[in-house]
Parts: sequence; C-alpha cells; structure tokens
Amino acid sequence: MADQSTTIGKTEIRKDAWQKAAGKALYTADIPVENLNYGVVVRSQHHYARILEINKTAALKVPGVLQILTAEDIPGEKIFGPLIPDQPSLAQGVVRHLGEPICLVIAETRIAAQRAKEKINIKYQPLVPVFDPVLAVKSDAPQLHQGGNLVTELNVQDGDVEGGFKEADIVLEEVYYLPRISPGYMEPETSLAVWQEDNMVTVWVSSQHPFTDQGFIAAALDIPISSVRVKSAVIGGAFGGKEDSSLSILAALGAQSIKGALKIVNNRRESFLAHPKRHPAQIKYKLGAKQDGTFTALQVAAYLDTGAYSSYGPAVGMIFSETMTGSYRIPNVKVDTYVVYTNSPISGAMRGFGSPQSHFAVESMVDTMAEALGMDPLKLRDKNILHPGDKVFTGVTINETANSLPDCLENILEIRKRFQAVKPSPGKKAGVGFALGSQTMGLGANVPDDSTHRLEWAPDGRVLIHLGSPDLGQGLATAAEQITAESLGIPFDQVATLELDTLDSPNGNVTCASRMTYMVGNALLDASAKLIQELLEHSSRMLDVPAEKLTYKNGQIHKPDGSSIPAVEFVSRLAEESITLLSESTFSFPYPEETTPKHLPIGMPHVLYCFGAQIARVEIDPELGMIDVTHFAAIHDVGKVINRHGVEGQIEGGVATGLGYALYETMLQKDKGWVDSFTEYLLPTAVDLPPNYQSIILEIPEASGPFGAKGIGEISLVPTAPAVANAVYDAVGVRVTRLPITPERILGFAD
Amino acid sequence: MQGFEYLRPATISELKKDLSTPGARILAGGTDIVPKMRQGIFSAPVLVDTSRLESLDFIEDQGKEVVLGALTTHQKLADSPLIQNVNPALSAAAESVGCVQTRCRGTVGGNIANASPAADTIPPLLVYGAVLHLQSLKEERTLSLEEFINGPGSTELKPGEFIHSVSFTPLQGSWGSVFIKIGKRSGMAISVVNASAMVVLDNDGLISDARIALGAVSPTVKRCRETEKFILGNKPSPELFNNASEICRKEITPITDIRASEKYRIHSAAVLTRRALEQAVEQAWERKS
Amino acid sequence: MNQIEVIFTLNGKETKISGDPNKTLLDVLRDNLGLTGAKDACGGEGECGACTVIFNGKPVNSCLIFIGQVMGQKITTIEGLSVKGVYHPVQKAFVEAGAVQCGYCTPGAVIAAKALLDRNSQPSDQEIRDGLSGNLCRCTGYNKMVDAVQLAAKEYSNG
Repeated sequence: MADQSTTIGKTEIRKDAWQKAAGKALYTADIPVENLNYGVVVRSQHHYARILEINKTAALKVPGVLQILTAEDIPGEKIFGPLIPDQPSLAQGVVRHLGEPICLVIAETRIAAQRAKEKINIKYQPLVPVFDPVLAVKSDAPQLHQGGNLVTELNVQDGDVEGGFKEADIVLEEVYYLPRISPGYMEPETSLAVWQEDNMVTVWVSSQHPFTDQGFIAAALDIPISSVRVKSAVIGGAFGGKEDSSLSILAALGAQSIKGALKIVNNRRESFLAHPKRHPAQIKYKLGAKQDGTFTALQVAAYLDTGAYSSYGPAVGMIFSETMTGSYRIPNVKVDTYVVYTNSPISGAMRGFGSPQSHFAVESMVDTMAEALGMDPLKLRDKNILHPGDKVFTGVTINETANSLPDCLENILEIRKRFQAVKPSPGKKAGVGFALGSQTMGLGANVPDDSTHRLEWAPDGRVLIHLGSPDLGQGLATAAEQITAESLGIPFDQVATLELDTLDSPNGNVTCASRMTYMVGNALLDASAKLIQELLEHSSRMLDVPAEKLTYKNGQIHKPDGSSIPAVEFVSRLAEESITLLSESTFSFPYPEETTPKHLPIGMPHVLYCFGAQIARVEIDPELGMIDVTHFAAIHDVGKVINRHGVEGQIEGGVATGLGYALYETMLQKDKGWVDSFTEYLLPTAVDLPPNYQSIILEIPEASGPFGAKGIGEISLVPTAPAVANAVYDAVGVRVTRLPITPERILGFAD
Repeated sequence: MQGFEYLRPATISELKKDLSTPGARILAGGTDIVPKMRQGIFSAPVLVDTSRLESLDFIEDQGKEVVLGALTTHQKLADSPLIQNVNPALSAAAESVGCVQTRCRGTVGGNIANASPAADTIPPLLVYGAVLHLQSLKEERTLSLEEFINGPGSTELKPGEFIHSVSFTPLQGSWGSVFIKIGKRSGMAISVVNASAMVVLDNDGLISDARIALGAVSPTVKRCRETEKFILGNKPSPELFNNASEICRKEITPITDIRASEKYRIHSAAVLTRRALEQAVEQAWERKS
Repeated sequence: MNQIEVIFTLNGKETKISGDPNKTLLDVLRDNLGLTGAKDACGGEGECGACTVIFNGKPVNSCLIFIGQVMGQKITTIEGLSVKGVYHPVQKAFVEAGAVQCGYCTPGAVIAAKALLDRNSQPSDQEIRDGLSGNLCRCTGYNKMVDAVQLAAKEYSNG
C-alpha cells in the first residue's frame, strides 16, 4: 500500500495553518462569550507556610467583585492529581510552594479582580522549606506530606553488578546535575467555563487530555460527569506541561459559584511558578568497561525533584530509570531512582519525560569512557549499541528499530568528517561532538492505554474524524487525516478533523508519550476498514447486490458489471433514512503477554523504543567561554514519514528545545523566589540556533505502526544536550557535568 | 495598578508646563515604563506622553557636534549612516539593544534617563564625552552624561525637567570607536558586560586620546580613567593592552546576580577592554592610511 | 479613573476607543475590538513578540504601548494583512513552508516578517533571523520560518 500511497509521506498542508496565519484561530482566551467574568488566582507568597487567616472582607467590597473562593467553598473533591491525589485545587491550611493557589477572585472585570486580589489579607506562619531532594529524604527534613517526602523509590536490577565491575578494566563515576526547565509553550494556561441554566457546565481547556479534566471537574464540583462538557480549543503548545489539569477545575468551580461564565488566564509568571516543569535531577553514574570497550556494568543512583506535588513524577521516574542504559548493551545493571517532594515548583511531564536527563549522563559518560580507553567515541558506541533481539535490563527485547543505530553511526561518521573540516573562526576553538538517544513509546505496561477514534462519512462527501485526543499544535490532526485519506483512498482535502468535545468525541486518551500518530493511526486504519465494510453493507442493501460482489475503491463502490457509484451517493441516501455512516475503533497499546516482563511495578517497562543521533559543531571563545553552535545535524528513525513537514518540524523544534536545555534554560532561585519571566528564563531565539542545520530521516518500518510509523515527538530533544557537551569537550577540553553549559562553567568560574 | 492622568503635549512649551505638574513623569517609548506600571513596580499620578513631539526625534550634524533628539529611537540610530560614520560604537550599541520591536520604540533619551548600569547606548556616548541638554519650565542647562548619572536608575534630572537632546563631538584624525557586548544569549540580549573604547592616534602612531567605558560592572556605566591614563602617550601593543586590561579590573565593582558572577564579570570586562582597544586601534590605523 | 479617548487608524479604518489610560494597545485590540490575533505569551513584558503589530510601518510589541500613544497613528494587525480573504504573501509562505505548528506565535512572527520584507525585500538568512529574534517560538526551531520568509521574498521580488 505504501508504495502506491497518494498522501502518506507527502507534505500536505495542515488545514489549521490558514486560520492560524490569519490570526483567526480561536485559542481558549480568544473565545467570545457573553457576560464573561474574570477570575484571578491569589497565590502563595511563601515556599512553605501555614495559612493562619484569610481575610476577604476588604476585597469583597471592591466594586464588581462577585465571589472569592477558598478551599472551604469547594463542594466536592478538594484535591486532585494525575497519579497520586495530593494537590489541592486551593490550598487547605498550608502552602507547599511559591505560587500555590489559595483563593479564586471572581469579578466582572479583570481590573476589579486584580484590585480585589491586592486587598485580600492572608496571614502566614512561614515554615522552613527544603529544596534539595537529597536533604529532603533525610529524617530530619521538614515532612511536606503525610508519608514523608519520598514519593517513589524505583530499584531496577539485572545481572551481577559487582561482578560486572570486577570484570571491568576501567570503572568511571561521575555526578551529573540537570536543571529545572519550563516546557515553555507560548500559550499560558487558560480555561473558560460557562455554567448553563440546565446545570451543565461547559469548559474550554488547553489540555492534553480533556477527559481527565472532565473527571476532575465533576469530582470537584460534586456533579455527575455527564453534567460536565469539556471542549478543546486550539492549543498553543503543550510539550507535556498540559497533561496536568488545574485552571480548568478552578474555572469550573468559579462558574458554578456565580452560575455564570468565567475565564482565567495565567500570566507568564504564574505559569512559571504554578505549572509543571521538567524534573531537576542529580545522577550518580558509574560505568565499567573492558579495555576493548565492552561495557560490563552500570550502577546509577539518582534523585528527581518533583517539587511540592507529585504530578507525573513517579511515571517520569520510570522512563528516566529505563533509559539509563541509553542505546547500549550493558549486561549488569542496577538503577536506583528516588522521586522526592520538595518545596520547589511542581515537576511533571515534559517532552522526553526523564530521558533527556538520563541521556545527559549516559552520553557524557560514554565519551568520557572513550577517552579513558583511548578509543574513538564512535567506535566505542559501535561496539556497544543494541541490536534487534537484545534484551535490556528491564527484560524488554528490542525489535528491528535497533537497526537504525548502525545507520545513525554511519551518518555521524560522514557528518563528523564534514564538520571537522570546517576551519574555526579567528580566535575561536572549534569542536565536534555527538550523542545517541533512545526514547520509549507508550504509557508503560499495565497502565490502561486505549485510544478510541471515530470516522463519519458526512452527506456533503467529507469524511470527518472525531479525534479523541487533542492536537497540541504538533499536527496530529493532519497525520490522522492523511492516514484516513490513504486508507479510504480519497483525497486528503476530503478529510476533516473535528475539535474535541467530550459530549461527542470518543476518548482517545492523553496526547503524549511519542505515541499519538501510532495510536490514532492504528485506530483509524481499523475504523476505515470498518467504515468501508459498513458502506458495502448499506450499498448492498440499497442496490440489492450481495455485499461480497461489491468492492470499494477510492471512494467508489464498484458493481459486478464494472460500473461504479460514488460512496457519497449512498451516504446521502442513508442520511435520508436518518442513518449516519459511522465507524469507531479502539487501539490498545500492545504489551504482548508472552514478551512483556512482569517483575516490575505498574507502569514499567515500556516496550517500544525510538532511536536517533545528533551531532553538533561548536565554536568557543576560549577567553570568554561564549559558545556558538554553528552546525547541527539530527538523524532520526521515524519508522515511516506520514507528513514530511510535520516530521521535520518535530525534529527541528525538538533540537531547538534541546539546545535551550544545553545552553540557556534554568529556573534558578532568585532573591526570595524563582526566575519566573522570559527576561531571565531564556528560550533560544532565531539567532541563537545553528544556521547550518540538517535533518536526516530514517525509515525502518515499525511492524506494529500505521504504515510502519512510530514516534518522533520526544526523542528529537534527547541527544541534543550531551551532543553539545561532547562538542564543547572536543573544543576546549572541559567536561561540563551540569546544564546549562554556560560560559562561566566552561571557564571554571562556576560548578 | 494605579490610575493616572494622561497628558499629550503638542509642543515643547506644553511639555514643560505638563511636566511641572506635581508627580508628573515622562513617557517616551515606554518599553520600560509600560510593563513596570502595569505590574505596579512603578507608578505616577500624571504621565506625560511625548508621542506628539516630533521635534525631539532627530539626528543632526551641526558641524562641530552631532546632536541626537531625546526621542530618537534605537532603530533610527542603528540605521543612520551619519552615526555609522561618526560613532560606529554607538551605531553598534543601538543595533544590539533588544530586538527590532523594542528598538523601534525605545529611545536614546529613555535609555539615558533609565540609567541602567547595563544600558547599551551609554558607554559609546560616554567615551565621546556626550553632553545632555536638559530643559524645564524654569531653566535650560547642559550637563555631561557622566555627571548626569548617579547610580542605578538614579540621575540628576530634576522634577519637571526632561532631556531635550544629547550631543557629542565627532573625533578627528586617526580614530577608532568600538562597542562590544556579551549577553546570555544572542537574541534579545541584556548585557552581562559591555565595553566601549575610543582611541585617537597621533602622527607618530602614539595614543593621543583614549577613553574606555564599561557597562554592567559598576553601579553606573564606568569610565576607566586609570586605564585610559595608563595607555595615553604610548604606542599600541599587545603588551600595553594586556596590562591595561589588568588595570581596568581594579576600576570596576561588579556584583554577582542572576546573569553572572562578580568574578566572571571582572574577567570578561578585562577581555572586552583589551579587545575593544585593539579593534579601536585597528580602525584608527585604517583611517590613518 | 480618568478615561481617555483615542482615535487612530486600525487596519485602514478610523477607529475610536475610550478607556483607562493604563490599558495597552494589546488590551484594546483583544478585549474591546475583538481582534484576538495578537497574543500575550510573556505577560506584557515585551519578551515574546506574540503581540507584534505594525505601528506607522514599524514592528512593535503592542503590549508595551499605552493606548494614549496610539492617538493619530496607523496600526496594522494580523487581521488587516489579508485583504478580502486573500492571504498576504507572508501568510501564504508561512503556511506552505510548514512554519506554523501550534500557531500561537504565528501572527506576531508573520507581522515581524512582513515588516522586515517591507524594509528589506531580499534579506539574507541571517537578516531574517535578526528580524525574527524578538519572536519566541517553542515549536518550530525557526528553520521553517526562515524558509517561509525566503519564499515570501521571492513573491515580493516577482511583484
């Protein structure tokens, strides 16, 4: 099928792009609603404190103020959490991080809400906070939650680690430190809720899983789930950070309390303080190798700082742990990971989900090991890479996707020569470095992961996709449309995607984990087949010809006499009979019974892998430590390209985010708070990224993927930072073990 | 968020009158004041908008002097062939401010009145000995830029007074003027350290005039007079500039903040000083030949 | 609070608004005039470029401009770029080059690109990057935006 494909692999123009370029796409904050009121969240001024008193008297007198809600006013569930319910929608007597929501002020205008907010008087009793996860797990640390600060401890072991180190000729150990970074989506968190006269609440969200919001909202408002309608507006980026729900609950609570319409928009500072970040990590990484380069053992002890509430911390800990062996065969492995509460901002899901952290350690260490062994880092990798059939330490057997690794290395070899041939600019030192990357797909074994989507053949001839998972901006809808068009043999332009609405849409599960094209694609392949079957049955009835004598091809029903009738004619006739031609299909992420290891906690292991490699050429000003990434190439196996621009966009955007991680981004503590603005939290701009850039896309079909496709959304930023660190080492001989790689670190002025 | 009265004078005399209202503050491009007022960091009961005062938006070659109206935007400065010719350091500094959107709004008068130690246009103006022309209902006076700035955000500007224009004298003979800055990233960079240097060479190739100003390393942009003295009358050489960069380290008092450590600022200020001097001398040689 | 009245030319039409002088151009575009193409991503600090509009021919951040400063001026927003449903070459190029992903930064970037091309119709890649350096984007890595501006530049030169 792929050989004669009409749309798969092409660059179809995404249909939402026109509205977006025209400024007419409606994001949550743009949706016009009558009699709209505004909510402003009053947030904690302390990292950790008891709330002694909340005085709303003066604030309630501000003209235009309608309501001020505190935790007491929540009729239903006061806490929520995607994995562990530990996060209050509004603080209950204690605040555990700066910026934690305490009250919701609702007023007729934003200015009135803002003025009232300033008049709310909260008396705190400050408590001593803890920020270092290593200190937080000690018994004398302040205990932030009942049950202590250790959220999860993961111990994954395979083989004989002590024996493995004994076998080694060289054992190296290093501690790597990764900063807290922001998903940095451009659209801050926003929610709009409208309470209707029929006691239904409609809530627009910018969320990766509106069905999760729906459940949390119903619980918090203490109303049936059927009374909550959640709609996905156009989403301005998410990158994992919008897997958590928060403003949607508050907006709905507010709408319920005023029986009206309410919008809440976080400003960027609130977004920085109150929405999940990438987990900061401390990774003690010990690797043993024989003189010929063969890895013999790995031991890791690592801490992830999940902040005040757990969010997706335990799950991040899993992929973080599972990717500690990177793309390599290591026979004896012990990984201990501690996910810890602190009084820092919440850490949760972010593109890569633990793998960018682990790979900074893995890929920095492999280069360090290569030097210690006197080997070319490329040869050392070649010696140790995974091959199809290899079992990693979680017990998972790697499939044919590992065939991409030698391809990656071959490409690196050629590009490295090219990059090394470029002469350094006057006064600069140049270096070339690369790294491999691995990323898992899916939510992990024993986590329900069903994704349902529906097709409808409309009487106007269009095929409508009732997509059950939102497009976050990455182009999921376009991929879904291409797969549908290809499966039905109809033009791409004939397929359209509906915006997600829990009232109508099936539940496609959360858009995340590098698996959406895979899940949606597989479901739609099946749904297309079912749709054709339905169509054949109806046409058989209408034509009075046995169904097996009719064939469907390219939007036409072919009769035994060789003539054909457009499918839409049958669809129109069905409409007259009040029948809608529909099909629905659920795809469940496969964890084959016989091959999925069962000795691990729920959520582990992840069984499908993606691999890639990236290479950077840097120029460093040796006196100032300033770094320019001048050349960059990214090599990724995507299984099969569905939309070329889409795949390139995922890789280019991932690299940009990876370069931000490598060079600029860190949410430092500052004065009494945190860096919380784009003035000090620096995203890469157009002039900060390498002008010489190349993506190389490999297509090694994934047997279980739609047309062979698999994930690319996350891995594209996984090898970036270590590739830059290795290039920096090549240029100036400084091994930076902390991100971001700043001039001060290169010159030794900072750790 | 405080309320305020909003005035829009059409002439300089109206401006003077409006600014004499108690508590009145001037609004130029607004790139700094607008967000500060919105966040409640700064407030004023009366805001005097200068949008209509086109007469303060000019770059003029008056023969002996070049005069910049206070409302000249950074973008206009960066694009001006005149400024590129007479003060390449200022041209480069203006071009390095923020991004095109903020350069099209931010003004040289605003940059000066703001008195940030990291302001980019101040060092090149300082090394040219720029003079400010200040006006108010009561008086008109001139003050050197160096005397004008007292500390971070603090100036000699009196209530009711405004910066009318800035003037400086173009250099003669074999001269060079340079601005270099380093930031945390290339785009929309705020100076971690910046440096401006000008040198004039005499007929024998000796340094007959030299000025160095460093930004973001002291409470105000810092003229490094000891360093200037040290090189004056000497023949430019790598050794001279190396030693000069050692001297400038002692003239600055940087702080450690979110952008950089004190140690890194001292180190890079020395490097930038040496480079700025070297490049300025190169320019001067080019003008000589 | 004192209200002020402002008359200006918005997308070619004379427009009158009145409001609190503390309001920014971005506020009135979005809240009063229903033009929600300009976005706020940085919290009104001039750090993201998502609210870029053209002010007398120059790209500016509408979040950094009080409404009083707009009096008598000419403003073009993203909504004013396409005329009678015909997309501006820059809009078309952004769509066709794959420079649009989540789209939140797109209106601002399109405006900045248009302002650049109006100034310099044949920019180098580096000049394009400079011209877009005030527009943050987390999705695209900017490469396809540079492609888009080059594509639009061709259209500009073909008239």
